[in-house]
Amino acid sequence: MKILVCLKQVPHQDARLDIKSDGSWIQEESIKFEINSYDTYALEEALRIKDEKEAEVVVASIGPDRTTQALRTALGMGADRAVHVNDESVEGSDALAIAKILAAIGKEESPDLVFTGLMADDGNFASVGPMVAELLEMPHATAVMSASLEGEKLIAERELEGGALEVVELQLPCLLAVQTGINQVRYASLKGIMAAKKKPLDTRSAADLGVQELVGTGAAKIKVQEIYVPPKTQGAEILEGSTTDVAEGLVAKIKELGLL
Amino acid sequence: MGNILIVAEMQNGSIRESSYELASFAQKIADPSQVRSLVIGESVTEEANAFSTKGGGEVTVVDNAAVSNYSAEAYRQAILAVIQETNASTILLSNTPSGWDVAPRLAAALDAAFISDCFDIDRIDEKLVFLRRVFNGKLDARLEAAADIVVATMQPGATAPYEGTTNGTVSSLEVSFNEQKSRFLETKVAESKGVDLSKAEIIVSGGRGVGDPEKFPETIQPLADALGGAMGASRPVVDAGWLPHEYQVGSSGQIVTPKLYVACGISGAIQHLVGMKGSNFIIAINKDGDAPIFEIADLGVVGDLFEVVPALTDAVKSAKS
Repeated sequence: MKILVCLKQVPHQDARLDIKSDGSWIQEESIKFEINSYDTYALEEALRIKDEKEAEVVVASIGPDRTTQALRTALGMGADRAVHVNDESVEGSDALAIAKILAAIGKEESPDLVFTGLMADDGNFASVGPMVAELLEMPHATAVMSASLEGEKLIAERELEGGALEVVELQLPCLLAVQTGINQVRYASLKGIMAAKKKPLDTRSAADLGVQELVGTGAAKIKVQEIYVPPKTQGAEILEGSTTDVAEGLVAKIKELGLL
Repeated sequence: MGNILIVAEMQNGSIRESSYELASFAQKIADPSQVRSLVIGESVTEEANAFSTKGGGEVTVVDNAAVSNYSAEAYRQAILAVIQETNASTILLSNTPSGWDVAPRLAAALDAAFISDCFDIDRIDEKLVFLRRVFNGKLDARLEAAADIVVATMQPGATAPYEGTTNGTVSSLEVSFNEQKSRFLETKVAESKGVDLSKAEIIVSGGRGVGDPEKFPETIQPLADALGGAMGASRPVVDAGWLPHEYQVGSSGQIVTPKLYVACGISGAIQHLVGMKGSNFIIAINKDGDAPIFEIADLGVVGDLFEVVPALTDAVKSAKS
């Protein structure tokens, strides 16, 4: 069995988000990046299948040089092989263009299963997974909270509102866009990190994959006019002073509410 | 601009309120004569009739046992057929578990612009402009569609349901569904495991900022106990396995409306805010003064929760004694 896991490297959750002077996106130069949280769960889910049965796990990511770090981490966790699309012409791509690149990799690799995260922590679009499934003509499920293989079929539980679950059956090959919390994600062991250095990491361009006409700023079907700090509404009244003052202020309010 | 298609959604036999919100957005950006709707499901004609006069406009019904439950494949096929039939160039869905599941597929199939989870939409100089949150609610983005066809999902609750009346018609479209590669098996309702936050008058919740599973019994639970309330948590805490799912407050956990909600080390991702914004009074304690939680809170403390929370616990105890 072959499993393709699509990863995105995103700004670290605690990174300071400064907006570029032209408002087009955040300044990415001097901040730390990490694997998108949703994607770590997707990778873990693939690795758990590999723990159980014969499987090759291929990880793919699109991004500049720094993305190698994310792929090495994934190899350290147990993935077998990595594909890195490192190509300046891809910059400015929208989600559909990213999906076209990943689908081109999918066509080359012919996986039985494709895993993505439900969404990315930066754009929060939640679109690439189902788009890749469409382009590869595979059934898919999003917000997946459990996945179990049963022969040529996969049973997935999707998260609905209020903690309810929808159970669906998908024929292989299929794509799963994974929700956070589906599993407990492993760390790369020291041994794993050492072994990762010898694992194959192929660097590809949009042209190699035959998608150069479909990607980049020029091909984008949505344009970011501006990103901005959400306008402040009334907001909270902020208590200031020493810890004791603040605690007393809070207690006074709780008393006023009649709850003490 | 071509026609606009609202993909309405059935829930427990009725059209969801979020579909009426889509009607509000559609009326905002299009001429009433351009509004089309799709009602999809089994035995839905009565609901479709009502919807056509309450914002839905010209409604197409796809009434078929194959779509009695949500299925990405079957919905995709039905929606694409109706887009073609109605000559729609703007397609609106709600950002619900079925909306977010099928909408990106439609966009890929149509090679269209796709924008998800928008809280507002406007038409400026014949261009559609969308507002949405990015970076888990820390920033907002204004985007424009630069394609002939646009598929967008709208955040439920972002606007009021449409309350006007429209000239409605209802017609039916037969779709011969392809052989399916997937099928719906069942819906499992949430299991209640003893922690029922919906009845608590006071909830003290901890988030990622608590940083460590041991800190919940050490720091968060004592304040909840001192106030005579219950302890809750945000999603990252549950995802990390620090607390079981029944403690989770948010759109995928419990929706709570206590008299007092104390958020400790919770930044305020949308999915959490949805679960607690109905609280009567909200206190937020967080070291990041820019955290979105302060936008929704009534009273805030910008500081280290490991200093503030124990001090507050002590102050509550001495106020009681």
